Amino acid sequence: MSEMKILDKAKLAEFIEKLGADFEVIVPQREDGNLVFGSLDHTQPVVEFTGKPLVPPKEYLFPQREELLTFTVKGKEIRVEAHLDNVKRVIWGIRPCDLAGIKTLDTIFLSNYTDNYYQARRENTILMGLNCNEPCSSGFCSPLGTGPFAKDSFDLLFTDLGNRFLIETGSEAGRELVASSADLFAEARDADKAKLKELEEKCKRAFKSPLPSTVDLATVSNKLSGAWSDALWTEESETCILCGGCNFVCPTCHCFNVEDVPAEQQGVSTRVRYWDSCQLGGFTQMAAENTRRTQAERLRQRVFHKLVYIPDKYNGAVGCTGCGRCIEVCPGEISITNILGRVMVK
Amino acid sequence: MTENIYAPHLVTIKQVRDEAEGVKTFKLAFNDAAVGETFTYRPGQFGEVTIFGVGEAPISITSSPVDKGYLELAVAGVGKVTRALHLKQQGDVIGFRGPYGNGFPFDEVKGNDILFVAGGIGLAPLRSLINQMFAERDKFGKIGILYGTRYPALLCFRDDIDRWAGLENSGVLLTVDTAPDNGWEGNIGVVGSLLPKTRIDLENTVAFVCGPPIMIHFVIMDLLKMGFGEDKIITTMERRMECGLGKCGHCNIGEKYVCLDGPVFSYQHLKELGESVELHTFGR
Amino acid sequence: MKKILTTCEFCGCGCNFYLGVEDDKVTAVYPSTSHQVSQGKLCVKGWMGHEYIHSAERLKTPLIKEGDKFREASWDEAYQLIADRLRQTKERYGSDSIVMSSSAKCTNEENYLLQKLARAAIGTNNVDHCARLCHASTVIGLSQTFGSGAMTNSIPEIGSADVIFVIGSNTTEQHPLVADQIVKGVKKGARLIVADPRQIQLTKLAALHLSHRPGTDVALINGMLNVIIAEDLVDREFVDSRTEGFEELKEAVAGYTPRKAAKITGVPAEKIVEAARIYARGKKGTIIYAMGITQHTTGVDNVTSCANLAMLTGNVGKESTGVNPLRGQNNVQGACDMGTLPNVFPGYQAVTNDELRQKFEKAWGVKLPSQPGVTVTEAINKMIAGEIKALYIMGENPMISDPDMSHTEKALKNLGFLVVQDIFLTETARLADVVLPGVSFAEKDGTFTSTERKVQRVRKAIEPVGSSRPDWEIITELSSYLGYKMDYPSPREVMDEIAKLTPSYGGISYDRLERGGLCWPCPSPDHPGTPYLHKEKFARPGGKGKFFAVPYRPPAELPDDEYPFTLTTGRTGFHWHTGTMTRKDWALDREYPKGYVEINPQDAANTGIRNGAMVKVASRRGEISVQANVVDTIQEGLVFIPFHFAEAAANKLTAANLDPVAKIPEYKVCAVKLERG
Repeated sequence: MSEMKILDKAKLAEFIEKLGADFEVIVPQREDGNLVFGSLDHTQPVVEFTGKPLVPPKEYLFPQREELLTFTVKGKEIRVEAHLDNVKRVIWGIRPCDLAGIKTLDTIFLSNYTDNYYQARRENTILMGLNCNEPCSSGFCSPLGTGPFAKDSFDLLFTDLGNRFLIETGSEAGRELVASSADLFAEARDADKAKLKELEEKCKRAFKSPLPSTVDLATVSNKLSGAWSDALWTEESETCILCGGCNFVCPTCHCFNVEDVPAEQQGVSTRVRYWDSCQLGGFTQMAAENTRRTQAERLRQRVFHKLVYIPDKYNGAVGCTGCGRCIEVCPGEISITNILGRVMVK
Repeated sequence: MTENIYAPHLVTIKQVRDEAEGVKTFKLAFNDAAVGETFTYRPGQFGEVTIFGVGEAPISITSSPVDKGYLELAVAGVGKVTRALHLKQQGDVIGFRGPYGNGFPFDEVKGNDILFVAGGIGLAPLRSLINQMFAERDKFGKIGILYGTRYPALLCFRDDIDRWAGLENSGVLLTVDTAPDNGWEGNIGVVGSLLPKTRIDLENTVAFVCGPPIMIHFVIMDLLKMGFGEDKIITTMERRMECGLGKCGHCNIGEKYVCLDGPVFSYQHLKELGESVELHTFGR
Repeated sequence: MKKILTTCEFCGCGCNFYLGVEDDKVTAVYPSTSHQVSQGKLCVKGWMGHEYIHSAERLKTPLIKEGDKFREASWDEAYQLIADRLRQTKERYGSDSIVMSSSAKCTNEENYLLQKLARAAIGTNNVDHCARLCHASTVIGLSQTFGSGAMTNSIPEIGSADVIFVIGSNTTEQHPLVADQIVKGVKKGARLIVADPRQIQLTKLAALHLSHRPGTDVALINGMLNVIIAEDLVDREFVDSRTEGFEELKEAVAGYTPRKAAKITGVPAEKIVEAARIYARGKKGTIIYAMGITQHTTGVDNVTSCANLAMLTGNVGKESTGVNPLRGQNNVQGACDMGTLPNVFPGYQAVTNDELRQKFEKAWGVKLPSQPGVTVTEAINKMIAGEIKALYIMGENPMISDPDMSHTEKALKNLGFLVVQDIFLTETARLADVVLPGVSFAEKDGTFTSTERKVQRVRKAIEPVGSSRPDWEIITELSSYLGYKMDYPSPREVMDEIAKLTPSYGGISYDRLERGGLCWPCPSPDHPGTPYLHKEKFARPGGKGKFFAVPYRPPAELPDDEYPFTLTTGRTGFHWHTGTMTRKDWALDREYPKGYVEINPQDAANTGIRNGAMVKVASRRGEISVQANVVDTIQEGLVFIPFHFAEAAANKLTAANLDPVAKIPEYKVCAVKLERG
């Protein structure tokens, strides 16, 4: 049963400081005009912010570069050591699109074979979401139903009501954290709950997207499948520079490459996992041939993986959370909403 | 204790055999006896081999579950890891984790005649299935093996081939693409050219096809022309595989991962996967 | 995790991003959305190209050659040996028997200190760097026409031009964030003209693709000038008030009718006419060029022609117009600005100018040489002749990047003494007597100047690996061993000294740079910097831009019966130059693990070469074996080889045919033959 509480904005710092005693607290921070997730030094205040950091918080569960194992070889003696990260973290200020992304990453990393590294980090991470009172410049979560307000996948969910936050608990862990600082919280009143609804509707109405106000994901999937051989993939990928940016900033992208990196000492090497990108030519390169040789095929793969394959494979899991970052980060000005807009009218 | 899904078991190379030109067969045994005892697999599955300091590569298992106490891998030295593997010798320790992949249907095809069509090193995963079937001979009807390579020096598993040829209710036909200078008296032509030389009871035969993508393509076309049902043609799909666990994304095709849902697929399934390069072209 | 904002170490776009650091290792990258050029975007090198920093192959200690092997040495021993040998060389053969080659990858402070070392400590003006190989033509061509040899406008302006003329630049791969501006512009309705012997990615967006024969750029542009004058599309007001030399130009291009230009270039006359009309009718036309223009025996002429074209149509001194050379290296603009050039001090102040030289003598406390030194391309011949005895190279790999590799190798091996300061044991470093381990951009503080003249901070993110040292420290330490004290607490103070002596950098300081980059000229502490140049007047004395009549001259080595193909060399977006950094990065290496030669399908059919097969490519200088890539994006008769791959080195084939003034090699044209196998 979800509880609803009120936290005065002035008390947020105290709540966060208390958390800091037991957790590393990660919040969006402002640096040189950029919003980036970072570890909060408890002497700094949590900044008010609009929009979201360009790189999603997935990297706290699935880092850009992660050392998995170290091998030490001495003749026939080989030692294998694992490096699991068990640091307790709270990530605060996660937008609904990113919460939805983490939900999908949970499905991908924890099903079939449980990824030990993701699991260790995930079990030690508390997710505190922050609803969006206004659309961000490229987001299209509202048509997809993944935002601007979150429905699940959080331990605590904050909504900015002006001078105070409305907080919904989403898990036992969330409830406990509220309970342990009970003196900071008040009960939410009916008026607060009504304001919640009002803010959500207001934000939804303010969306300006090439897509209609709601989009049925099953229809999108069907329309895309029908457009498999369409010329639009060649047209839309003309300006792709193969930078990988779209994958790196995507809340659900999880493809990686594992390399065994020799260390300086003789016989020592480290198995390292790196973020990878299906937009790079080498991603599907084999000894004799490449199974996706054109940029058109690679762009199609990215869009299909998110909007057709992931929902198919994982029972309706969301592959694209509508955050719009891939549009912002593209030096080729490629836009997934333009592509979807074209596909929907076919 | 939860196993670390990326960590390899240590295995010792018990034997290295020059299998064919550019191909070596390695016999491996787990260093940890307990692991060796409990390790099970199905024909058609593969493992991830670690060469410490170099990297990992997916390699299909060519031994059969009926062979107890060891694993065999047949490897062509074509990439960074496989070339490093080729430099390893008897007694060296490498890494192995697995088995991965779905393996060939076995129980499902009992009672049928089985036709194997193999090209080049594609015989390696099929050999695992062939020997397992011969170990349970009474469960299967006729077993026919068609095998071809570009030239004779590339033919693998000659000992097995000789043995299979002598078994009852079975037959082996070999072919090479080009006639070499010295004394090849067998068939010349692509492996598909052997199909007319076989007598197949279409109603009761399942075909297993494995080899280079282009060969699979043409053989499947031939089999369909002969009247094989789409669900009676079983093949393996090749993609760049890395983790073997359905996570790194490299072998993703449609909603499937070749390492999880494959590498074995029936032709019927392959058709459903839009991106199968064996069957489609994209504006080429 | 610490996040350090820094400037990219690869190309001249000058993107900024944060390096994420954990346990003294670079483990992550975060783009900067607030950066004017990068705008939150990066190419694959920016996102994934930094793994080389932690490669096990990094040089970690000084090395001294004994026989034919290297042994590790202490810094003191290495410095002492270098100082002794340089001193001996100087005493026996004179200061000018020593050449110092600087690095366009190193910081402004390091470049400043290296030329100071050469001039003040050693007493020679023999200091140069790889701009000699890429934009030396620009420095001279734009200086003589505009008065300033640099990109006239800034990168963010490009997206607002209404006509964009890209000539000799594969912008998508080499300057991705400039290409982003072009894409934005085209999406807003700008008309793009691409002039390139190959079809490049931008060709798909172009209103017009001029596929001219390599080396015929002057004829192409003269043809356009002819049309603009003949059809009265000249910006008369601009020409009359802001330029001189129009009449001579008019006379000179009168003969370059579209038909004549078509004959020379191979571009249909109607396309030349259309290109001229599109460009001249635009309200804001911008020219963007790179190596396809500069790396020719007529490099200066090519650049001058671009300047002629811009001035004729009034496309200089205004927003979103101009002549925009895309400087390749992250700090080649800065290296030039800092005077690592044989004829000028920092700020392009001539060494031969007594007054200016005395200013530097006063500041540096020592008498300075007054005759211009030798360029690196000319120095190669002097090394073979035995006139140059010692060479000190910082951050460059001439074995693979200089033309005519066998010639370069002969020259380097003939030296009495070679020192290489680098981060990896490159092909050049292997020939050295002493190797000093410098550091990457992540291990030191300093500044880079991007192609749009923007000076930006480079910030130290991790400690130098092993016993390597920041390059600026190496230079100052070596200087004391040479008896000339250089004492700076940090690079900040070096920049303060630079600002005092270099008028265009006069207002630059680390405090100001904390708030963002500054485009020079920035002459004083309260000057905001200059996004575009020549607004009211040109930088030439007198304030007017000058037209130059430029006749077409063919390239030095054209194909003939023996060597029937033209070879043009270049790059890909995934590797950097000689590959010393990028070939150690899994993501970049996976894209292009090997070299290749691009061949037209008809040529391939005629020579029996199949796609993917090995090809022997030979020139009068040498031969390489490389894989064929048969593509229809290249002209018949032309082949393309990228120079990133040492084992299939394009520069084994190229010739050291130099532009007579700029001394830049003609990498873009030489003659080769192809053979199967």
